[in-house]
Amino acid sequence: MKRFLHDFKKYFQYSIVSARSQLRSEVANSYLNWLWWLLEPFFLMLIYAFMFGYVFKAKEEYFAIFIFIGISMWSFFDRMIKGSVRIIKMNRAIVTKVYLPKYILILTKIWVNGFKMLVSFGMVAVMMVIWKVPVTWRILYALPILAILMLFTFGCSCWLLHYGVFVEDLSNVVNIVLRVALYLTGIFYNVSTRIPAPYGKLMTKYNPMAFLLESMRNVLLYGDTPRGTRILVWLAVSLILSWTGIQKIYRNENSYVKAI
Amino acid sequence: METEKTIEYRQDKKDRAEMAIEVRDLCIRYRRRKPYSIKKHLLHFKYEKSNVFEAVKHVSFSVPRGNILGIVGRNGSGKSTLLKAIAGLFSPDCGQIDLKGNTVSLLSIGVGFQKELSGRENILLSGMLLGFSQKQILEKMDKIIKFADLGEFINAPVRTYSSGMYSRLAFSITAFLETDIMLIDEVLSVGDTKFKKKSLNKMKRLILDENRTALIVSHSSGMLEDLCDEVLWLDDGEIRMYGETREVLEAYEENEACGI
Repeated sequence: MKRFLHDFKKYFQYSIVSARSQLRSEVANSYLNWLWWLLEPFFLMLIYAFMFGYVFKAKEEYFAIFIFIGISMWSFFDRMIKGSVRIIKMNRAIVTKVYLPKYILILTKIWVNGFKMLVSFGMVAVMMVIWKVPVTWRILYALPILAILMLFTFGCSCWLLHYGVFVEDLSNVVNIVLRVALYLTGIFYNVSTRIPAPYGKLMTKYNPMAFLLESMRNVLLYGDTPRGTRILVWLAVSLILSWTGIQKIYRNENSYVKAI
Repeated sequence: METEKTIEYRQDKKDRAEMAIEVRDLCIRYRRRKPYSIKKHLLHFKYEKSNVFEAVKHVSFSVPRGNILGIVGRNGSGKSTLLKAIAGLFSPDCGQIDLKGNTVSLLSIGVGFQKELSGRENILLSGMLLGFSQKQILEKMDKIIKFADLGEFINAPVRTYSSGMYSRLAFSITAFLETDIMLIDEVLSVGDTKFKKKSLNKMKRLILDENRTALIVSHSSGMLEDLCDEVLWLDDGEIRMYGETREVLEAYEENEACGI
């Protein structure tokens, strides 16, 4: 714990600066790049809205925003998970030259992808104004929900970082799992009503991403309070996941350099 | 092959000076394992046995503050592994490395650069990884840029650099962001003739500083003879000889000449 606090303090600044530089370099490479942070989810939303709203006749209130929230949160999770499997190899140049606690690499990515997510949540806000969604004080719940999303993602990423070093084809497996999770999370449909009972309810109970998405939509669009106990449960799970992940990395990070 | 004289010589020195690096009975092992993959696991159902390869075997030495220790040896004799261990990239499998709280940097060809970022940003990031504050780095930024002499390229992504420019930038960063202990892994042949001369001079000035301890790995006996107080000859991970510069170098060269 002491070591973690010490390292965290020492490298926190680095992760911020590094994330800022990465974002800036993405923008610098092509002038319109930051627009793609908006355009990508926007076009995905159009595709999903057409496929599921028009072809499969899915119906939700504020369907466009419903999808957009889903895409914003999911693509954050998706990018992080895919990235962290290969993160040590991608940062080989740094890892083989200088010591840093390896989860700092993940923290950097959290800031980068988190910022992109915030940009697309800006878009959500604009859409809410256009569609005249009634806003209640409950939108404040969005913040703890996002915090849990980040913490949960961080925890998963730590574990994947570790196994990604040693297991060569982990990324193939992770891609398949993520694809399944994508459909079970309900980016473009409502899991709890669309999947036949009792599985729909079970899904929102045991799939943290589905739960987080549903809660986010409830607080932003439908003025519902999320379930306090479940929020606490997932917070606890995320904390445990992150903590054990960090411990795992600390115990093994010496061998990473030798393995790559 | 340690003569009584060399031991005496070392003992004498150690009594007088304060140590900056103490390495005791150091072993570094690599587990030469074929990369594990889930695919292979499913097809074979058996683990491949990993064989252990010992790169550094029971090496002990100590360097007084302000001294320069040269390390010679053939390719694959464990020199770079030794430096990496001292830099803290991986911890010893047995034995101890005590740096007495000194800061340390490993100068080998190319500090960890992030290829998409500009030279300027990489200076900042590398500096922070070496443990400097943002303010300290910004103060030295101009000097570093001037010494690296990259012109317009300092604002271009590092991936566009030629290999010479790359190592010039790397050299300048470590040369100006000074640490107490510098580990130098054959980098003195950097860039074109002009820069080579410039960097060699800078390097000499740096490591001849009274408070700076340095470890140099090199194949150039001339340079080692110029700079070093002591030389360590590694052969297949073990100390073959350790003592006064001239003696060790002579023995080493003789041995190499016989080898042909």
